[in-house]
Amino acid sequence: MKEKEAREIHKVKKLKENRTSTIAVHNIVIAVLAVIWLIPIIWLVCTSFSSYPGMNTSTFFPAEWSTANYAKLFHPDTVAQFPQWFKNTFIIACFTCVISTLFVLMVAYATSMMRFPMRKPLMNMAVILNLFPGMLSMIAIYFTLKFFNLTNSHIGLILVYSASSGLGYLIAKGFFDTVPRALCEAAKLDGCSEAGIFFRIILPVSKPIIVYTVISSFLGPWMDFVFAKMILNAGISEKYTVAVGLYKMLDRSLINNYFTQFCAGGVLVSIPISILFVIMQKFYVEGMTGGAVKG
Amino acid sequence: MPDKTERTSAVEVFKAIGRFFGDFGEAVAHGDLWTRLSLIWMGAGYARRKKYFRAVVMTLFEIFIIWFTIAFGIRYVSKFGTLGTVKPEKVFNMQTMKNEWNDYDNSFQILLFSLFTLVVWLAAAVIWFTNVKKAYALQKLAEEGKHISTFREDVRDYIGKKFHVTLLTLPVLGVVIFTAIPILLLILVAFTNYDQNHMPPTNLFSWVGLQNFISLFGGGSLGASFGYAFVRVLGWTLIWAFFATFTNYFGGILLALYLNSKKTRLPKLWRTLFVVTIAVPQFVSLLLVRNFFSNGGIVNTICARIGLTGLLRSAGLISTSYIPFLSAPGWAHVMIILINIWIGVPYQMLISTGVLMNLPADQLESARMDGASRFQVFRHITMPYLLFVTGPALVTDFVRNINNFNVIYLLTEGAYTTTNQVLANAQAKEVDLLVTWLFRLTQDYYNYKMASAIGIIVFLICAAFTLIAFNRMIRGDREGTYQ
Repeated sequence: MKEKEAREIHKVKKLKENRTSTIAVHNIVIAVLAVIWLIPIIWLVCTSFSSYPGMNTSTFFPAEWSTANYAKLFHPDTVAQFPQWFKNTFIIACFTCVISTLFVLMVAYATSMMRFPMRKPLMNMAVILNLFPGMLSMIAIYFTLKFFNLTNSHIGLILVYSASSGLGYLIAKGFFDTVPRALCEAAKLDGCSEAGIFFRIILPVSKPIIVYTVISSFLGPWMDFVFAKMILNAGISEKYTVAVGLYKMLDRSLINNYFTQFCAGGVLVSIPISILFVIMQKFYVEGMTGGAVKG
Repeated sequence: MPDKTERTSAVEVFKAIGRFFGDFGEAVAHGDLWTRLSLIWMGAGYARRKKYFRAVVMTLFEIFIIWFTIAFGIRYVSKFGTLGTVKPEKVFNMQTMKNEWNDYDNSFQILLFSLFTLVVWLAAAVIWFTNVKKAYALQKLAEEGKHISTFREDVRDYIGKKFHVTLLTLPVLGVVIFTAIPILLLILVAFTNYDQNHMPPTNLFSWVGLQNFISLFGGGSLGASFGYAFVRVLGWTLIWAFFATFTNYFGGILLALYLNSKKTRLPKLWRTLFVVTIAVPQFVSLLLVRNFFSNGGIVNTICARIGLTGLLRSAGLISTSYIPFLSAPGWAHVMIILINIWIGVPYQMLISTGVLMNLPADQLESARMDGASRFQVFRHITMPYLLFVTGPALVTDFVRNINNFNVIYLLTEGAYTTTNQVLANAQAKEVDLLVTWLFRLTQDYYNYKMASAIGIIVFLICAAFTLIAFNRMIRGDREGTYQ
């Protein structure tokens, strides 16, 4: 009897919840929130189509629309050399991507699949080193690179991004941990070497985590601001990455002539980054769950 | 209280070190002539067992270390105590009849190369000890008449049993050179007076002991400015980290719950709209928002037009003709936290959505059946589950926010100027975090000594919070409530 009553109440509650008016209110609240979240982005896109070069302070939407800012980006002057910055960042990102992907996969395989005496101490050391915020070692690296005249060079920046990337091995290790051991044992019995297992068995089944590692290490240099700002601090425009270049466009002396170009540049870099970001998110989830299903 | 597992691991480390030297002692005590000769000539043991390739490699290694020490290392390590005494000077050379630079010392070079030499020596010492042990192991194999591996087998080992050595050498080297040595260097610099008055090569710097830390805690000649700035900046760093972490965490969870509700139409579309903001790189979105809210920016224009600025002025909240969103203390602090909600909540929403998908559905259903209200379900089922799964991340987020350089720097650099003279003397601002302060000290003022000292303090704070998180995580694992 009591149970039945409870069920009745439950049903009534459910009906109440599903009334159209509450649904409408619910969705309107979400819409309002979404608009608040999107206002700056909309402003970014609109301003990038403004025909006035400085910041538009009187109205939200530009008074006159034009695509001149995008055209100007591809006709570089001494300040804004967007194609050059894009090329720089792309080259740096490619090198970083190759080196860090290799390092991460190598460390992850060694710590996940192999057992050797130094394994635990090395992993503990990694935990301690990861405690130091990247900023701090960065300052000492900056002294050192400056001493060897590697500041304001792309090699220095690539080294900074990729040399210590082995420390970020934990996600890939987590994935390798879920690959069934029986697979490797069988291969070993067939006379396969560790290297053979790595290349022929583990790598082929680890596609999600490899894609995730590749994209995230490729995105690093595109998203980073602070390291690039620190290393490329001499003010040589043609060496900038996109992040530093766009930042410099907003210098007090330049902002009135370049603000809308900054917006156009921001839109242009955001598009490929967003696409890669969404793909990475998908593979991240797959990398986290895919192995578990197989195991 | 240190955790039990930590204590045992510390004991393990000491045991391992003890075993390392014990084996070495045994090798020396029981080794034959060739094994003992390995103490002096590192290739001896290998040469005796006809492993000529290794013998040559070890001999070359030994020669290299000796050459490195004499030609390079000793020159710097011998000056490590003083960090150099000879200033650069033009000296008249009698032979060429010209003014030439003397053989001056560069303090930074001495510091860096000494450190490098010490690391090389440490590595060489480990290899030297291991080498003697290996020679003894070979001797034992030979005595027992067992097979000694050939060169070919040794090489094959590096893709077989010892594949981890092949895999780990380069990454570990990268970490040592680009993370470990720089951190040691940073620690050393914190005990020197390396700043713009002591810039090599024109000037020398030297050891000053704890002087920089004393200034940071309010003592010494710099204490008045740096000590005050340190307290102010540290205070704001902790307040910021607390609010940034909790507003994002709970904001993200609430948004995720709201979007996940059955009443939401097109949840995927809404979720994507929110995610757009995090897909735009921070240097674009934050720089944009900074101009959006700037003193002469669009928001100020709109506020003036609808009369909000006038209203605030007549209420005595502002004294300027604009609303100083990002340029006055108080206003800027609140705005930074609000803008951080804008940046961070969608991200937390994504994570929470993932976790909520795995919410134990049977528990939810039975609670509903028992007539629990929605708030009760949230309070007693959803929230404990979320806290259990994402709780440890809360602490890591807190630590990440202590070092959240981007948000503070991109929003305030160039837009915010301090009017507090004492803070300005220490090159700090009210809105600075410790990391943005030390970034400015190194980049704009070359005050490396104070930056390094602040860096060490930041590390200590982060390490303390992370250790707490770590202990919690271990305990959480043991409970296994939701397994």
